[in-house]
Amino acid sequence: MNLVLQTLVSTLVQGSMLALITIGMSLVYGTLRVLNMAQGVMVMVGGIAAWTFVAGTGLSPWIAMIFAVIVTFALGMLSYGVGISRLIGRAGVDFEMTAFISTFAIASIVQSVVQLVYGPRQKDFPSLVEGRIQLTDGVSITWQQILTAGIAILALVALGLFLSRSRYGLAIVAVAQNLDAARLMGIPARRAYVLTMGLAAGLAGLAGVLLAPVYFVSPTMGELPMLQALIVAIFAGLGSTKGTIIAAYIIGFVQAAVSIFWSSTYAMPVLYALIVVVLIARPFGIAGKPQEARL
Amino acid sequence: MSAPTSVSDPRAVALPRWNAKVMGWPQPRPLPITVALVVGILFPFLAPDRSWLTVATLAMITLTLAQSWNLVLGYGGVWNFGQLAFYALGAYSAALVTMYLPIPAWLSIPIAGLVSGGIALLLSIPILRLRGIYVSLLTFGFAEVVRLLIIADQSGVTGGAYGLSGFGGFGFTGPGAANVNYWIGLAAAVVTCLIVLILVRSPLGNGMIAMRDNPTLASARGISQRTYQMLVFAVSGFLAGVAGSLYAHVFEVASPTLMGLGPMTLVVTMLVVGGLGTVTGPIIGTLILSFVQMQLQDVPEIRLAALGAVLLIVILLMPRGLVPFFSAVWARFQAWMDEDEYDEDEDVEDGASVESSSESPAAAAREGAERGL
Repeated sequence: MNLVLQTLVSTLVQGSMLALITIGMSLVYGTLRVLNMAQGVMVMVGGIAAWTFVAGTGLSPWIAMIFAVIVTFALGMLSYGVGISRLIGRAGVDFEMTAFISTFAIASIVQSVVQLVYGPRQKDFPSLVEGRIQLTDGVSITWQQILTAGIAILALVALGLFLSRSRYGLAIVAVAQNLDAARLMGIPARRAYVLTMGLAAGLAGLAGVLLAPVYFVSPTMGELPMLQALIVAIFAGLGSTKGTIIAAYIIGFVQAAVSIFWSSTYAMPVLYALIVVVLIARPFGIAGKPQEARL
Repeated sequence: MSAPTSVSDPRAVALPRWNAKVMGWPQPRPLPITVALVVGILFPFLAPDRSWLTVATLAMITLTLAQSWNLVLGYGGVWNFGQLAFYALGAYSAALVTMYLPIPAWLSIPIAGLVSGGIALLLSIPILRLRGIYVSLLTFGFAEVVRLLIIADQSGVTGGAYGLSGFGGFGFTGPGAANVNYWIGLAAAVVTCLIVLILVRSPLGNGMIAMRDNPTLASARGISQRTYQMLVFAVSGFLAGVAGSLYAHVFEVASPTLMGLGPMTLVVTMLVVGGLGTVTGPIIGTLILSFVQMQLQDVPEIRLAALGAVLLIVILLMPRGLVPFFSAVWARFQAWMDEDEYDEDEDVEDGASVESSSESPAAAAREGAERGL
């Protein structure tokens, strides 16, 4: 019973985190048709930025969180301007492929620059809140975990409201649904693209700050979240926000269950096997649209 | 491309076999190839010092890998980003086979190739149902999981994060050992290039390219995606496994650092810089980037950053790569020369241009790109 409860708690925390990271990738893919391989690096940049801020100014990690989100937001917009905007609409080139490689290049540049500046050593980051509460005998949950899940869910709700209520959010949705119609309605598609890339990176940066106390801050801290986000993205079907959230919790559950009942070493391989089965049964994920598997 | 031949069409038997020369495809030029081969063979005597030879040996092995990747990614149009997994699996299986079985080192090379090829064949089955970006997700994930499993292994079979070593390699000793290793690498690279060239010029490769450029039409003409893709994956996996086993034997180590973001960036950069979907592209890309990497050896911190920068610049300025870019420039230059010299040939030129415009612009452009051969 305790183990089951532990699994559920872990699912909630992991799933919220995965949803926060993957929703950015999904948004970018839905809008721009770019698989953003720089998402994991943005997680890392968020952690690094917050660490730098705390170490440099000595202010509270909460302000560092805002700082990190702003930094990653700007970096996301920059990566669009440098790597992607020039590839859009170029004749005779496969846009999805070149943009994929281009974001991949950006990821490796950013990662090695960070490594060059900060060194490969892991750095401690202070918890945002201390202490833990005891649920039952042997099952406890730290306030940090509760906070992580809470902030992640809050951010997701805020994102949902932004996309469905605000002018710019609606513009992003319109561009994602039908680019030509959106253009005819006078929506500046490129501005929506920039905003989407910034948003995705900002969400990843937020996730980076939340992960920092658990995983430590290092130039490679984004690699595991990236791999998990890829698995969630395949499972969900790229471009579907609702599917992404559902998939994130399912993947979070499987990962928690395997780690708790078996061994955390085999969490990723089991997830991968699950993905292969899902892809064979439904090649476009649980919520993706069949036409996205273009043929 | 408009020739009335089709692989599984029974009437094709009566027709003359498809021929690259008749189709006006670029032919390998004997003179540059001979010069390159002679320079390649004599390289150990031309190299300024021994470190050049090590780099060149690694470059030849990487070329084998890059060429095998090119087959799937460039010609097959399948977004396989997990090729390094087959490479590492080849290295590990060669190492394990030599350690635990009483067979000579050279025999472990085909075994490693078969292991990698078999795994590639199995992986191609789920990939058949996927398109575009989903393929890259699946293959990239596969490679990462292979890497994590190798690192996480506690039983000592893979040696964990440190990898395997001390299995002897080819066992050459003495002053000429490095030369022999280099020649083995060179031979593998040349054979791989030949295999890719022959495959691409065969009906199989023709169907593969048709599948890449226009899947709907290709399947309507009776090209089975299943057969072609599985075959291409198996061949490509085999070649990557051979490259991995060569690495294991030449450098006498098989470690998880063969895979991961860094090596993947390196090989993808080689392919993209040289030009995907050409035979010369990976050769040029591998040589250039191996040289650049060697020059940056003293500053290992900026190697990956420099690679990323090169990759970004090339993909932004010439997304097709150097070889197609410069051969397009060369073709334009030649057309301009011809225009000056033979005014009376204009009718013929016009006829040709009308014929080529009946195809899609992308196909025409790609054909122009393939003049890089």
